[in-house]
Amino acid sequence: MTDLNQTPVNPASLAPEVPGPLPRTGPAMISMRGVSKYYLADKPALRDVNVEIGSGEFVFIVGHSGSGKSTFIRLLLRELMPTQGQIIVAGQDLAKMKNWKVPYLRRNIGCVFQDFKLLPNKTGFENVAFALEVIGKSKHVIRTQVPEVLRLVGLEDKIDSYPDELSGGEQQRVSIARAFVNRPPLLLCDEPTGNLDPQTSLGIMKLLERINKTGTTVLVATHDRDMVDNMRRRVIALDSGRIVRDQDRGVYGYVD
Amino acid sequence: MSINIGYFASESLLNFRRNWVMSLGAVITIYLSLLLVGVFLATGVIVNSVVKSVENKVSIQIFLKDGVQTNDVDTLQQSLLADPLVGRVQYTSKDQALQKFKQDMKQSPEIIQQLEGNPLPASLDVTLKDPRQVETMVAKIKASPLFKKVADRPDNPEQSLKYGQQVVKKLFAFTQVVRWIEVAFVIMLAAVSLIFINNTIRLAIYARRKEIGIMRLVGASNWFIRTPFLLEGVMQALIGAAFAILTIALLEAAIVPRLGETLPFLPVNMTSTATAQIGLVLVLAGVFIGLLGSGFALRRYLKV
Repeated sequence: MTDLNQTPVNPASLAPEVPGPLPRTGPAMISMRGVSKYYLADKPALRDVNVEIGSGEFVFIVGHSGSGKSTFIRLLLRELMPTQGQIIVAGQDLAKMKNWKVPYLRRNIGCVFQDFKLLPNKTGFENVAFALEVIGKSKHVIRTQVPEVLRLVGLEDKIDSYPDELSGGEQQRVSIARAFVNRPPLLLCDEPTGNLDPQTSLGIMKLLERINKTGTTVLVATHDRDMVDNMRRRVIALDSGRIVRDQDRGVYGYVD
Repeated sequence: MSINIGYFASESLLNFRRNWVMSLGAVITIYLSLLLVGVFLATGVIVNSVVKSVENKVSIQIFLKDGVQTNDVDTLQQSLLADPLVGRVQYTSKDQALQKFKQDMKQSPEIIQQLEGNPLPASLDVTLKDPRQVETMVAKIKASPLFKKVADRPDNPEQSLKYGQQVVKKLFAFTQVVRWIEVAFVIMLAAVSLIFINNTIRLAIYARRKEIGIMRLVGASNWFIRTPFLLEGVMQALIGAAFAILTIALLEAAIVPRLGETLPFLPVNMTSTATAQIGLVLVLAGVFIGLLGSGFALRRYLKV
């Protein structure tokens, strides 16, 4: 497990951004082959999805509600098992993975959600520290890493505030800090800006971009058109559970 | 991964403090349930001791003819002792019988004064190993030729034997019912407390399902999530059990002596061994229920 945490920073992604082909070096972080997921027998949530996402990429998954974005994310977390197909995340075959190993998989995947999922009775610091405590990190590690990651997300002056004392954007920053404090090689975001105004959303996206530059693979499921069009990153579009488009430097691209 | 015992201890203590209303609810439920079970067990012990002592008073008295041959009495005594049903045979002489009669009738000296000589017969008191076998034994004695030889009134053997014929049957029917009721109540109470405690712990865990969800999300192992809850359950159970034992001890100290005063003819007592056993049962039951309740309640939140 630990070798994944020490994935070397991809030098290419740290370079100043220049137009040109996006860095797609490194081995595949995510590989889906022929993946289908049926909740009901007749209507699949995902249908024959084939996709490769390399280490260090920044990828948007776009589509309407019900197009399969959340299912896609939950499959990667192994909250769900695919009905058909093979999913490999960070070199591990999820279908063959034993249940007791799932927690160790999740230590390599940071997660950010639309509703933040912060604990209301813990301060910002404690919320982030919680993620380290429960995977058995020492007090020393917690004391050094938590302030560092809170500084990274720009909340160094609010570490002792409770979630209800923070704005939506600040809460999302705490939740990103929690997802990233363990330096996972993969960060999954399910509608991270769904509850936020455009200005705040932009800040969150900049933050995700900064995290991506440290070499972390970032996957963002969203239907925030402006965001996707501004960022010009790889876009995978889903419609009724099928991948209808997969392009580098893409745009949201639906006229509706 | 190193298992951090300090973390578990402080985490369960912290949860206990933060969710103290829930914890208090669980403790009170466990306390009341265990108290009920404990009080019933204690009552059972007392009733049992009373029933036993009453049962043991059932003995067969054989009245002997005046001036009977000592040999014959000895032989009868020997043959009775040889019987597997018999526990003890005690000889009471005429003088001893008179002494005892005087002792019993101390309250009314006029009766004693009216006595001329000693009208009381000597007797053999036969105590049985199992008092329930009294009817069988009586039949055996009646059939014995030696008995006919030494009996006070050989023409009418019924008069020479005393064992509280009708009372015995009713007594045994009654004590049997009492025992069954006891068992049924203890089982019912145990089931009720298990359900109650399980529910309370479920509620406590439900109140914290969000926390559990996040723990799973960031990759805490299932045992890591479970341990503080189980410790908390055990802690609640132990506190509940401690209070229950304390209450039972106090009740016992307050009630048992008074019961002995009001009912001097019944040997109401509780040995300290019995009290300790009840305490042990309560602690074990509490811990078992606490662990089982938490474990079950957690299962659905730990599905991967």
